[in-house]
Amino acid sequence: MTAIVSVHSFRGGTGKSNTTANVAAVFAGRGLRVGVVDLDILSPGIHVLFGVDQDGLDRHLDGFLWGRYPLRDAVREVTPPGVAGRIWLVPSSVAPHDIARVMAEGYDVGLLGDGVRALAAELELDVLLLDTHPGLNEETLLSIAMSDALAIVLRPDHQDYEGTHVTVSVARKLAVPRTVLVVNKTPESFDPAEVAARVAAAYDTPVAAVVPHSEELMVLSSGGIFVLHHPDHPVAALYGQLADQLLGSAVRA
Amino acid sequence: MSDRLHGHVLVVDDDPVNRLLLRRALEREGLTVEVAVDGGEALVALARGAGFDIVLLDIVMPVLDGFEVLARMRADPATAALPVVVISGSDSSADVVRAIGLGADDVLPKPFDPALLRARLTSGLARKRLADLEREYREQVGYVVDAAAAVERGEFEPGSLDAVAERPDALGVLARVFARMTREVAVREQRLRAQVGALRIEIDEARAARTVAAITETDYFADLQRRAAELRSGPGRQDQENR
Ligand SMILES: Nc1ncnc2c1ncn2[C@@H]1O[C@H](COP(=O)(O)OP(=O)(O)OP(=O)(O)O)[C@@H](O)[C@H]1O
Ligand SMILES: [Mg+2]
Repeated sequence: MTAIVSVHSFRGGTGKSNTTANVAAVFAGRGLRVGVVDLDILSPGIHVLFGVDQDGLDRHLDGFLWGRYPLRDAVREVTPPGVAGRIWLVPSSVAPHDIARVMAEGYDVGLLGDGVRALAAELELDVLLLDTHPGLNEETLLSIAMSDALAIVLRPDHQDYEGTHVTVSVARKLAVPRTVLVVNKTPESFDPAEVAARVAAAYDTPVAAVVPHSEELMVLSSGGIFVLHHPDHPVAALYGQLADQLLGSAVRA
Repeated sequence: MSDRLHGHVLVVDDDPVNRLLLRRALEREGLTVEVAVDGGEALVALARGAGFDIVLLDIVMPVLDGFEVLARMRADPATAALPVVVISGSDSSADVVRAIGLGADDVLPKPFDPALLRARLTSGLARKRLADLEREYREQVGYVVDAAAAVERGEFEPGSLDAVAERPDALGVLARVFARMTREVAVREQRLRAQVGALRIEIDEARAARTVAAITETDYFADLQRRAAELRSGPGRQDQENR
């Protein structure tokens, strides 16, 4: 069985890709087989965190969506050294003409759902993580509809509050079995327990982690996954906690 | 010549020759001198707050005599502690007793003996300096006490203890620790205010509902809603169908 997990935020730049990559590394560290799909077709980027050079991105999600090859051919293994499990990544194309074509022509969203689920079966994934585009476009709605668990990332900031409310409401209508909030980029001076309590109460939704705004995390973002570099850091424990809440008892190594 | 003295002296004498002799003697010692020709002028000079360290006071003068000047000085808090050396032409012990009774620190006979005058000045100035330090200490203790009250009222001005904090003694340590603690408290309070502001999660429910409606009231969404359960039990997990 594969647990499908979407990581989403209404606004951009909240830390979806970072969160996705770290949770993927936590799962793999526990020996799981993990897939990551960069569903942020319009502004892809998670491949950078897995150390994939964009020059080598000749096979990607876009190519599959245009029927050039099966999704299996766009997968690359990005398992970091020394990790018990495995991680496979489906990147999106960073080529401007590919992105322009998606914007101009769109693609068959249904194909995306079928492809992703077929891939999960073929690679015998325990978890499939979907890193999404901000906002609620069709592929994001599809990814939420397919998901067993949804992590909504927000910053403790007025800019993010209303959009998060919209996303929580939409997730309820799609009956996602498990929705959690991740408060990211929290000023170090804020009291995490207070932040968690307030946010959980405002959205009537559990807060799985309150991640501080961390200099180290920011520095690493250009090619590194925090939990792999700092496994004993308190922030790494937060991603572990998030991973626990996303899967609950559904998947065990 | 022995150590020079430092200080600002008020010489009060109606006799010009005496004034001149005293001025010369004092300036030779390194002191700066101001003169008054009678008691009235002396009180005016003192009221100006010219920062005198000691007063040399004649007794027999027109307008106001030395006794009267002395009495008024001691009655005024601004000059009550200012050292006064009476230089008296009279050698009646009754006058000496009266001067001391009115608060003179010392009485010297006229004509004055320079060595004796110097000795009196030295001890008078030392007393003045000590009194100044004590007054300053009391004042600065007062600042710290005021600062504590200001903290209680929430009106503490961060720089208000800077002068006290420069003291090398225990009071300086107290002021520095106090200032640091209030700074830390202020920073904590400011952060708390920022947190409370950032966490005031007020959502325009009507607008959010309109956005949700725009997203969900579409055929695409209705179809997703219908198919969501089936989508979640896709080929990747057929072994888990009855979960
Ligand atoms: N907790 C954090 N502390 C500091 N910086 C962070 C944190 N989380 C993310 N960042 C930084 O914020 C930026 C955006 O992060 P990320 O790319 O993960 O966000 P995103 O939501 O995926 O953005 P986009 O909407 O563009 O896809 C990156 O530079 C990342 O390093
Ligand atoms: Mg991203």
